[in-house]
This record gives sequence, structure tokens and C-alpha cells, in this order.
Amino acid sequence: MKELAGRLTALDPDAGAAVRVIAYFDRLAEGRAGLEAVVRGAVILAGCPARLADPERRVLVRVLTDGCRDDVCEAPDPAWPSVSLTPGGAGRLWLERPGPAGTVGAMVLERAAATARAVLERTRGRAPVGSPGDDPALVELLLDPAVPEAERLHAARRLGLPRLVRAVAVAGGPPVIEPAETEPGHHDGRAGIGPDVPVLGLPDSWKAAAVALRLAAEGDASDPGPRVVRFTELGGLAVLASAVGPETEPVPDVRALDRAAAEAPWAAATLHAVASSPSLRAAASALVLHHSTLQDRLARAERLLGWSVRTQEGRLRLHLAFALRRLHRRPR
Amino acid sequence: MSERVPPPFDPELAAALAAVSDTVWPSLRPDQIALKRAVPRLPAGEFTLGGVFTAEDLVVPGPEGAPDISLLVCRPVSAREPVAALYFIHGGGMVMGDNRAGVPDMLELAAELGMAVVSVEYRLAPENPHPAPVEDCYAGLLWTFENAAKIGVDPARVVVGGSSAGGGLAAALALMARDLDGPEILGQLLLCPMLDDRDDTFSGFQMTGLGTWDRVANDTGWNALLGAARGGPDVSPYAAPARAGDLSGLPPAFIDVGSAESFRDEDVAYAARIWQAGGRAELHVWPGGFHGFDFLSPRAALSRDSREARVRWMRRLLA
Repeated sequence: MKELAGRLTALDPDAGAAVRVIAYFDRLAEGRAGLEAVVRGAVILAGCPARLADPERRVLVRVLTDGCRDDVCEAPDPAWPSVSLTPGGAGRLWLERPGPAGTVGAMVLERAAATARAVLERTRGRAPVGSPGDDPALVELLLDPAVPEAERLHAARRLGLPRLVRAVAVAGGPPVIEPAETEPGHHDGRAGIGPDVPVLGLPDSWKAAAVALRLAAEGDASDPGPRVVRFTELGGLAVLASAVGPETEPVPDVRALDRAAAEAPWAAATLHAVASSPSLRAAASALVLHHSTLQDRLARAERLLGWSVRTQEGRLRLHLAFALRRLHRRPR
Repeated sequence: MSERVPPPFDPELAAALAAVSDTVWPSLRPDQIALKRAVPRLPAGEFTLGGVFTAEDLVVPGPEGAPDISLLVCRPVSAREPVAALYFIHGGGMVMGDNRAGVPDMLELAAELGMAVVSVEYRLAPENPHPAPVEDCYAGLLWTFENAAKIGVDPARVVVGGSSAGGGLAAALALMARDLDGPEILGQLLLCPMLDDRDDTFSGFQMTGLGTWDRVANDTGWNALLGAARGGPDVSPYAAPARAGDLSGLPPAFIDVGSAESFRDEDVAYAARIWQAGGRAELHVWPGGFHGFDFLSPRAALSRDSREARVRWMRRLLA
């Protein structure tokens, strides 16, 4: 539909465009307009959706072509024209259409970014720098399947979450929500990483993260194993987890493993190295032991356990015993 | 009178206004009318909202002894039964604009409700002073009611509406239909309507030189429409509905206006007088809005909110 006189619409690349772009954003700045108005300005003048994201300041503002705010979105397409908010900073402004920006698009990006930068410095200059999703109350909302979807989507917007996220369960800490498709952040303590999900799937991701956490070990001599466990890598162990509760009797193999660990301070770490290494030689080098010392220890451990760990079947049995032992130590 | 501080414009709207300052200015003078009129008339096919509506120009009889008039009729493509209709009157201070102006905006509203839009072309002042414009609008309204079946419109659900001068004309149609035993209008959608020729409101003085339509522009419009009679004792309420002594017995009114525009006080007064007369009116005063703000920048936050309010009123009216 052609546009009528006296209306401000997406600009054509003519001589007046630069004047309009500059006048628009200068006046927005004068009026101390907020970030959404700045992003919407880019939408109005460029005629396509636009997005501002600054992970360091936990800001995500996305506006669609009709002027409506909608922060639920996929990761930005590398083909979209964009500019950095600050040299070397993580903040960026995108026009959500395939590049190149063109003369109008480039001007809009440049002026909108400059205006947004000023707003951010004014309003968020001292905002705490942290990972997205560390506001405990909003995070709780997102993990609770009983909370209405609209409220959870709202919480996700408040937290500036991308469309795909995952829940992380950290031993002794509050729940954490991380952006998907990134390396897990550093967590103090054992951690279970839930699968990547759309924000409304977070309650499921959180449940899965809790299962993964049960299978995460302390990583010390008495409880050897990985401290960070991804649910997606558990395979059948996830089924095993549902079979072990607070009232479940440990199978004899678990009792035997406990007994061995109690008898000799090196037993748990040694057996774990054997279970998770491709060969005894590799296990010896992981333990920084001489091969013959390992052979001696294994002979003693096998007596305590009651089965040989030098066969495939024996090592699988040992693997399962370790998994079950972790589950029994954290029965819920 | 020197201390009339104007309310500030909403920042987003102020930005839009600044960006179009070369084509939109507050004080239209008579010698600038020709310049404003020099815009090409778009073909009917441009008014389908991307295929949601069919659009055609119909030529229908004008008032007794006057030329025919043209109606742009936009009907939802998906409609099988007769639909509700918005009989729309464009703005332009009585001196400019055509029946394309504002139609895309009305189509967005109508699309939400499955309504048709009928936009009337009326003769403009000063070449055609009062009563030519309002009589053309009334003739088109009568034709629409009498030929509702032909254009797939349900005559029991026709809302009159208009923006600015068109809002004043829509209010006048509601008065005329009441006084002349005319058709039963379901409601009146008055968008920042131009209602009062007397140039004596607080907001009129307060907003001088600001926005898109100030006292100077208002002088241009009313003087063109009414000539020497303007502001005098004998102005018809069908020219300036604020002049009506009786605002009872009118269809429900929706009135919206910006807090930062000349028409603020006359529009608020009109709503108040409808209530005082025992009538039904819904009034929205949008903070920091200049005259016609949502037509100038439809995607701004305040514009979106104001448009949603119209949809909600219309939905209740049609329910």
C-alpha cells in the first residue's frame, strides 16, 4: 500500500533521509526517551524489525515492524546488518533483514546505536554485570510449570533471555538459567546441565538438570568423577536415576564399592580411573602410578569388590555401581 | 495569557514530528492550501490492506442540485454476510485532503473487526463553503444506508467516523440524522475532531505555533468554511457541532484527542456536554499527543495504545 502525505514511514534513500534520521534520534535523545523508543525508531525509519542486545548489561530489546515489542527470538542471523554499541563491547544493534544495510540502514544503525549508548550510560551505567538469569525470583517463576505461560514469558523478557535457554542445577546454590548454545558457565560446586529448550520448556530443563546433578560427583578421592554433568549425555543413566529414591535398598555392588572405598583411601579413585580409562596403562598414567603398583592395588580392590574389573563386563558393572552410588548419596 | 506553558510532546512523537518538519508544520496559511493539495490521488486498488479488502470507487448522487459524489468502498474479502461498516470522513481542515487520507489506518481498525469502510469524497472549502462539505457527507451516508444490501453492508451496524475536520463532520452527521429523522447510526467515532469555530479555548492559545495544527491553521480552515459568519452568532451546529444547544439523543460517541493539541479543550468539552445531556461517550486524552499523532507515526507506543482503545470501543459497540 502506498503511503500518504504527512506520515512518517520507512525512508527512501534520498537527499532528505539523513536529515530525517538525525532529527529523529536527536529529538529522542532530547526527550530522554528509553531504549524501546530508540529501537522502535530504527524499526520505523528502516521498515524492518530491529534488536538491541547487550549481554553485559543484561539488556535485550526487540521491536517488530508493527512497533510491537517482542523479545522472544532466535539468535541473530549473521547476515543481518549490525553495529557495535561500543568498540570492543558485547552490545550490538541489528536490523533484522538480510544485509547489506544500504545508505538509510547504515545511517539508522549508526544514529540509533549512538542514542542507545547514551541511554545505557545514563540508565544502566552502574548495573551489575552478571550472567543473564540471576534474578532469583524471576528464575523461580520460569522453572515452575504451574505459573501461567504469559507470566513466564514476561519473566523471560525481564531477564533478557534469548529464545533458547537451559536450566542449570548447582549443588547448594540457587537455580541458574543460561543461554543455549554456549559453553556452560563456571559454577562453584557440582552442577547438572539441563537440555536446551525454548523458555517455556524451562521447567522440564530444570527437572533434567536436577537429575544430571545427582550424577555429578564431588571429584575428590572418595567421590571421583566429573563435577559437571550434562543431561543430554546421560543416555540410559537417566532411567537408572528414576529407579533410585530415598527408600531404595542399594544393590550389593554398591555396598561392595562403599566397603572398598572405606577399606582403602585410594580404592574409589583407582577403581574410577580403571572404569573410565581405555586401558590399565592409561588408568595408571591418569593416577600417576606405576603400572605394577596399579596391578597390586587392583588385585586387592577386586577381592574387596568380589568381581574382576579387567573384563568389559566387569568394567560396565563397576560403572553402574559408581552411578548407583552417586544416586544413593543424593537420593532426591 | 502570557504564562500558558504547553504540555511537552511524548518523546517518541516529538521525534517523529521533528523528522517530517519539512512537510508538516503547525500554522497552515491560506496561501499554502494549494501546495498541500498538490498530492497525487492514489487509485482505489492501493486500499486493500494487502488483499484483505476489495476496494472500488462508486459514484453516487450528491445533495439535491449538487454534483455527484464519490465513495471509496472497501469490503473484507472474506465476508459472506452483510458486515458492519465505518462511514469515514477524511480530515484536512475542511480545505484539503481526499477520501484516501486516513483510510489505511481505518482499514487496520476495520480488519480487526471484519467491518467495511466507506470513505466519502466531499467538496472542499473555500471554493465550496458550508454547507457543501457536510451535505455531501450526509448524501453519501443516506446512499450507504439505502444501498447497504448492494455493497454488502448491514444497515443496522453503521458507525460514522472521521478524523480532525472529518471528526467534526461525523459529529455533524450524528446531529443531522437525529434532527432530520435520518438513519439510525450505531455510533460516532470522533478522532481529534474539529468542532468549534470560536477560537476561544485555553488549549488553542496554549498550543500556538506547536504541533501539526494550531490556531493559525484553524483560522485558515474555519474562515474558508464559514467566511464572515465564522465566530458570529449564526453558525450552524452542522458546521461546528460545538454550537449545538442540545447534545442529547445521539449515538454513543468515542472521542480521542492529544493533551498537547489545540483541539484538546473543545473535544473534552464536547464529551462532557454529551454526558451532561444524559448521553454515552468515551473520552481518551493521550498525554503528549499532538494533533493527529497516530496518523503521523502509527507505530509509536502512544499511537498503538490509542488505536487499541478504538478497537476495544468498536468491539463493545458491535457486540
